[in-house]
Amino acid sequence: MLTTPPEVEIALAESAPSAGFWRESWRRFCRRRLALVALAFVVALMAIAAAAPFIAGTKPIICKYKGHIYFPALGYYNRAWENPIFAKDRFRGRYAGTLAEKDPDSWAIFPLVYQDPYRRVRAGEWPDQPENPFGKEGVPSRYNWFGTNPQGFDVFASMVHGAQTAVSVGFVSMGIAAAIGITLGALAGYFGGWIDVLISRVIEVVMCIPSLVLILALVAMLDKVSNVHLMVIVGCTGWTGIARLTRAEFMKLKQLEFVSAARAMGAGASRVMFIHILRNALAPVLVPITFGIADAILIESGLSFLGFGASPPNPSWGTLLSAGRRSIEETWWLIVFPGAAIFLTVLAYNLIGEGLQEATDPRLRQDAH
Amino acid sequence: MSTAVIDVNDLKTYFHTEEGVVRAVDGVSFRIEPGRTLGIVGESGSGKSVTSLSIMRLLASSAQIESGRIALLRRDLVRLPEPEMRSIRGKEISMIFQEPMTSLNPVFTVGDQVMEAILLHQKVTKAEARQRTIELFKEVGIPNPEQRVDSYPHQMSGGQKQRVMIAMALSCNPKLLIADEPTTALDVTIQAQILDILRKLRDERGMAILFITHDLGVIAEIADDVLVMYRGEEVEYGPVLEIFANPKHPYTKGLLACRPRLDTPYRLLPTVDDFMTVRVVEGRLEITEKQLDAMRLNELKTHGRGRLLHPLSELAAMGHAVAPIAPGSARGSATMPSTVDPTQRNPPAEPGATKDVQYIPEGTKPLLSVENLEVHFPVRRGLLARTVDHIRAVDGISFKVYRGQTLGLVGESGCGKTTAGRATLRLVEPTGGRVWLDGVDVASLGSADLRQMRRRMQIIFQDPYGSLNPRMTVEAAVTEPMVIQGIGAGRQDRRDRAAALLEEVGLQTVHLRRYPHEFSGGQRQRICIARAIAVEPEFLICDESVSALDVSVQAQVLNLLKRLQETRGLTYIFISHDLSVVKFMADMMAVMNAGKIIEFGPSEAIYRDPREEYTRKLISATPNDDLDHIRQVVAQRERTWVSRK
Repeated sequence: MLTTPPEVEIALAESAPSAGFWRESWRRFCRRRLALVALAFVVALMAIAAAAPFIAGTKPIICKYKGHIYFPALGYYNRAWENPIFAKDRFRGRYAGTLAEKDPDSWAIFPLVYQDPYRRVRAGEWPDQPENPFGKEGVPSRYNWFGTNPQGFDVFASMVHGAQTAVSVGFVSMGIAAAIGITLGALAGYFGGWIDVLISRVIEVVMCIPSLVLILALVAMLDKVSNVHLMVIVGCTGWTGIARLTRAEFMKLKQLEFVSAARAMGAGASRVMFIHILRNALAPVLVPITFGIADAILIESGLSFLGFGASPPNPSWGTLLSAGRRSIEETWWLIVFPGAAIFLTVLAYNLIGEGLQEATDPRLRQDAH
Repeated sequence: MSTAVIDVNDLKTYFHTEEGVVRAVDGVSFRIEPGRTLGIVGESGSGKSVTSLSIMRLLASSAQIESGRIALLRRDLVRLPEPEMRSIRGKEISMIFQEPMTSLNPVFTVGDQVMEAILLHQKVTKAEARQRTIELFKEVGIPNPEQRVDSYPHQMSGGQKQRVMIAMALSCNPKLLIADEPTTALDVTIQAQILDILRKLRDERGMAILFITHDLGVIAEIADDVLVMYRGEEVEYGPVLEIFANPKHPYTKGLLACRPRLDTPYRLLPTVDDFMTVRVVEGRLEITEKQLDAMRLNELKTHGRGRLLHPLSELAAMGHAVAPIAPGSARGSATMPSTVDPTQRNPPAEPGATKDVQYIPEGTKPLLSVENLEVHFPVRRGLLARTVDHIRAVDGISFKVYRGQTLGLVGESGCGKTTAGRATLRLVEPTGGRVWLDGVDVASLGSADLRQMRRRMQIIFQDPYGSLNPRMTVEAAVTEPMVIQGIGAGRQDRRDRAAALLEEVGLQTVHLRRYPHEFSGGQRQRICIARAIAVEPEFLICDESVSALDVSVQAQVLNLLKRLQETRGLTYIFISHDLSVVKFMADMMAVMNAGKIIEFGPSEAIYRDPREEYTRKLISATPNDDLDHIRQVVAQRERTWVSRK
C-alpha cells in the first residue's frame, strides 16, 4: 500500500473566513447604493412605526401617579395596556393637566411631539400650545408640522401612527402569503403528479379572481373592518405568485444531484424539501415577497382611501389621503405628506426587491450551482 | 515550407477582475500551415479556449489582448477594426463548439441556420444557398440531406447536430477551422466518426485546423503538432510523435502517464504531482521537475489491489478462459514517458505485493445480486395522458457482485447504465426484478427499512458541482448522513468523525467550515466521497464519478477510490462511459447497450477478446495513443502530404 496521501490540487488560504451564500449576497447588495438607501429608509420606517407612541402622542411614556409608576403610552399599542386607574379617575385621555390636578406629587415624561392621532388637541392642554386649527385653517405650522385634518387631528401624529399600519400590513399579509405560497408551491413542485395538478389549478382559480373585487366583497360582509381583517384578506389572495415561483424552483432543484444524494443517505421527503431544496429556493422567492409588501401597502392605502379600510378612528395613510380628496385645492398638505410617504415606502420596497434580485440571481454569480 | 494560415506570436490575454489580473493566456506562440492540424491540449483553466477566442476576437469584456500578434495570412487580427473582423469570422475562420445541443437555435430548421451563414458571407440566391447546404450535409455525412435540411435541431441526435455545426462552419470555405472540444459531449463511437469527417475535410479542402481538447487520446488521433498548455502558459510545443514519444516538460510527462490507458500496466496511477511540484512565486508559476524513480513506478504497478474475479465455476459457465491474466500483456505497446525504464514494464511480483488475480472462493454468497432488473418509463400521449408505450431504460439485467469486488458498467449515453445504478439503490423505482443485498430484497423494503438499508449502500455522482448543496458547509454536508442514520454521539463527535473522514480523503480539518463553491472539482468529489463513506457503507455506486474531472485530478480520485476499497473493504459498482477508466477500476465488466447487458466477464478478458460486435466497436472507437499507432498515422500523413505537393 502506498503511504503518501493524495495531494490537494489547490491549497486554500486558511486564514480567510468562509463567506456563505447570504454573506456574499449581502456584499453584492451593498454595492447597489440605491437599494441600500431604500433598506435604510425601510429600517427607519420600522423604527418609527415601532416607537410611534414615544414620538407623537398625548399620553406620557412614563409617569408616577399616586405612588406608582405607569406607562400610559402603551395604550396606543393596545387599549388594555393602559392602566384602568386612569379610566377610573376620569382622565379622559388628557394627562398633561389632569395628572398634576389629581396628584400634585406626580411627574411624567411625554412623547417628543404633543399631538394625538385620535383626537384634536385643545388649548391649554400643553403650555403655550394653542388649539389645533381645523378645515382650511390647518396649514402646517410650528405646532402641526404636517398640518391638521378637517377635524383638527394632527397629520404628523396620524402619519407616525399610520406607519404602524403600513409596516404591519405589509409584513403580516406577506407573511401569510409566503406561508401559504411556499408550502403549496413546495408541495406541488416536489411531489408533482396529481398533487401538482390540483395545486396548480387552485393557484389558477385564485389568480383568476380579481383580488380587489374579492377584498371589497369580503369587506362588505364584515360588520367592522379592522387591519387584521385586511392583512388576512391581502395575504390569502396574494400568495399565487410566490407559490408559482416556489414550484418552479423546486422542480428545477429537485433534479440536481445533491437532492439525489440526500435521498441516497436516507433523508425523508420533509428533510429534502425543507433543508435541502428550500434553502436554495429561498433567495429567488424573497424577491416577489418584497414586491408583495409594496403591493400590500398600496392595497391597504387604496382601500382606506376608498373608505373600505379599517373603521375609524384609524390613522392609516390612505384615510388621510381620502380626507384630503374632498378639498384638494385648499388642503394640499393632506395629499402631499401621506402621498409622499406611500410613494417613498412602495418605492423603497421595490428598490430592495430589485437589489435582492440582483444580489441573489444565479446568473450573476459564477459560483452558484 | 508554405506560408502559415495562422501565426500566433507571444499572445497574452489577461482578464481584469476585482481580485486582480488573471493571466489566462501568457505568452503563447504557434503557427499552422494549410492542411495541418494543431492540437492544443490542457486541463480546465489552462487557457486553451481563451486562446481560440482571442483569435476570433470574441473575448468577454473583462478580457483583453495585452500583447502579441495574431496573423491570419499575414493580416494582424489584434489591431483589425471590428467591422473587418466580422467579415473574417465565419468566412476565413470558423468555429465549432463543444455543445452541439445549445449551439443550434431550436426554433429554426438546421437547413435555415446553415443557409443563413452562407447568405451572410456570399452573394448567392436562396435556392443556391439551399443547394449548397444539401451538398455540405452530404459532405459531412448526414444521411438523406434533402429531407434533413428541413429538420429542427431537436429531431437530430447529438452527433448529427455536431455534423450540422461542421457543415455550417465549412459553408464559406474557411482557411482555418477552430474546433473547441467538438467531441467531448459525444459518445466514443460518434466521436470516432466526427474525427474521421474532420480529417477527411481537412485533407480534401487543405484547411488548417486548430483542435482544442483535454483528451490526449483524441490529440493522438488527429493532430500533426501539439501544444501543451498549463495555467495559461505554453509548456511544450512540437510534432505529435515527438510529444508522445519523448516529452520534455514534466507536466506533459505527468499528463501522459496519469491517464488510465486501455493497456495500462499500473494498479495505481501516477499523478502529475509525481512529476513536478508547482509553486506560485510572485504571481508566476515555478515548476520544479521531480524524478519518478523506478521504485515508485514499481510500487504503482505492484502495490494496490489486483483483480478479484468471480468464482472459477461461474467464469467457466460464462465461457471465459480461467488462466491467470497478466495486466500489461495486452495488445499494443505502452507509451511511457522517457523517465520510465521500458525493462521495468512487467516486473516479477515482489514479496509483499498482492497477487495479480484472485478468485472468489466457490460457494461464497454474493453481496449484491440483481435479477432481471427492469425500469420502464411510460410514454404518455393524448388528452388523457394514456400510456401508449414504454421506454425500456433498463430491460431485464442480471448480475452478481461479490464482497470486495468492483463491477464496471460501461456503455454509451442512453444505454441505461445510470438508471440501472439508481434503480439498484431505489433512487428510481424499478418496474420489475429483484435486487438482493446480502439476502434482503431491496425492491420490496418499506420506507423505514429502506432508510436502514441506505446505510449499507451509497452513491457518488458525476457532477461535483451539483451533488453538494451550495448552502451547506462541508461539515453540514458530511455530518448530515450521520444525523439521518443516527451515527455518532452528539455534534462534537460527528464533527470529529467528519474531520477524520476529510483527512482520509486527502482534505484538511480546516475545510470543514467552508462552502462547496470554494473547492475545485476534484476536491468537491473528495467531499462527496467523504460524505458517502460517512455512514460506513459496504457497497458504493460510483456513477460517472470521475467523468467531469480533469485527467490529472481523475487519476488522484481513482487512486483514492482504490485505496479506500482496500482499507475499508468496499464493494463498488463503477459506472462510466469511458472504457479505459472502467477497465482500470473494474474486476468484472458489464457492457450495456439499449437497456441490456450484452457482455459480461472479467474486464481484462473482455478487452482482450470481445465477443460482441458492439464491444469490439466500442474498443476500436476509443482513441488510441500508443506510439505504433501514432507512427502509422504520421507516416500516412507524410505520404499524403508529399503526394499533394
